[in-house]
Amino acid sequence: MMEWIRFWITAVLLVCGLVSFAAGVIGNCRFNYVMNRMHAGGVGDTQGLFLIVLSIAVSAGSIMDAAKLFLLVVFMWNTSPVSSHFLSQIEYYTNPKLFDHMGRL
Amino acid sequence: MKNAFQRWLDGDIDLMEGISDAIPEHDHAREDIKERDRKIAREIDSRRETAILIARERKGLKRTYDVIAVICCVLVILVFMYIIAQLPLYGVENVRATTVAQRYIEHGLEETGAINIVSGMILDYRAFDTLGESHVLFTALICVMILLRVDSKNQRQGFEDYYATMSETYFASEKDTILKTIGIFLVPCIFIYGIYVLLNGQNSPGGGFSGGAIMGAAMIIFTSAFGFDRVDRFFTLKLQTYVTFVALSFYSFAKGYVFFTGANGLENHIPKGTPGAILSGGLILPLDVAVGLVVACTMFGFYSLFRRGQIGGTPGRLIS
Repeated sequence: MMEWIRFWITAVLLVCGLVSFAAGVIGNCRFNYVMNRMHAGGVGDTQGLFLIVLSIAVSAGSIMDAAKLFLLVVFMWNTSPVSSHFLSQIEYYTNPKLFDHMGRL
Repeated sequence: MKNAFQRWLDGDIDLMEGISDAIPEHDHAREDIKERDRKIAREIDSRRETAILIARERKGLKRTYDVIAVICCVLVILVFMYIIAQLPLYGVENVRATTVAQRYIEHGLEETGAINIVSGMILDYRAFDTLGESHVLFTALICVMILLRVDSKNQRQGFEDYYATMSETYFASEKDTILKTIGIFLVPCIFIYGIYVLLNGQNSPGGGFSGGAIMGAAMIIFTSAFGFDRVDRFFTLKLQTYVTFVALSFYSFAKGYVFFTGANGLENHIPKGTPGAILSGGLILPLDVAVGLVVACTMFGFYSLFRRGQIGGTPGRLIS
């Protein structure tokens, strides 16, 4: 029974994570402005990674493995916003037509 | 009290003093113009000579070059095709081609003392190959330095103020708070992880190249977060040269000793240690450290040279 529950939790979390990554990939392909694409990519980097690591941690079953896996999440959640920050900063400083992309304010 | 004549004899007064001061100054303006004209004439002459040389080369030697290039290409293609024709067929059982790999897998642990067979291969059985790879990195760094290094010899004359202003405004502008805050937490972790990968090369996947690359990346992150000033305090061109030289020469001599004793059937006195411990695997650990240092220095050297044209140097200034 316990194994059964664990398997289903793992499977559901894994599928949710893959859906997040799929959203990120589709957004990266369909959007054509850098800020929108960054937004789409961030979905996979944060939510998708978190869900997949959670599912793997549940299936691994030991606290030590889960802790090591969550170091990965901490690393990615620290570094991914920094790179996004620099991308948006460069876009802000170099694009003269920035406000054309913003829609109605 | 001496008179003037005696003082002149002793050398106290110089009679020509006032007269030599009164000689009119050299006509510097005219001399400068003459010198400039001579320089221009020399420049024109040298350019004409170069143009003549280039034209002659185009006319005569280009055909020779073309013929030589075609011959070389055809020769190389023929050699490769001959070698490919000699290779054993894919998928057919071939005792001669698989004995070496089998020996690595079966006797690798007892002969090298390394649990990680790949480390045992690249740093023990085929250490000569890895030595060449390290030297390739070193040579690449030297080539990049030749091409990109900016010093007083190859920067444009009369633009010293421009270079100084550019280095002050551009290279000292890394003051981003977000990157700094993340860097404070991240850089030590990455450095420790790199050292871990470096020192565990004989027990787990990793080793010199990957560990050195991680350490170089940590240094690059540190530089982009805190600026070149802080790195220049310890990472100078001299340090880089010494570290690379010592690592490569240590590698050469240690491995030369092992090859010499092995080829002559002598006993070598390097203990293998118990497999699995940090200090095991004979020479693999020190060689890993040597290769890792070379790789880290090369990575950071590339970054520094491509970004500002020098390694180390005086803080805040481009010109060393």
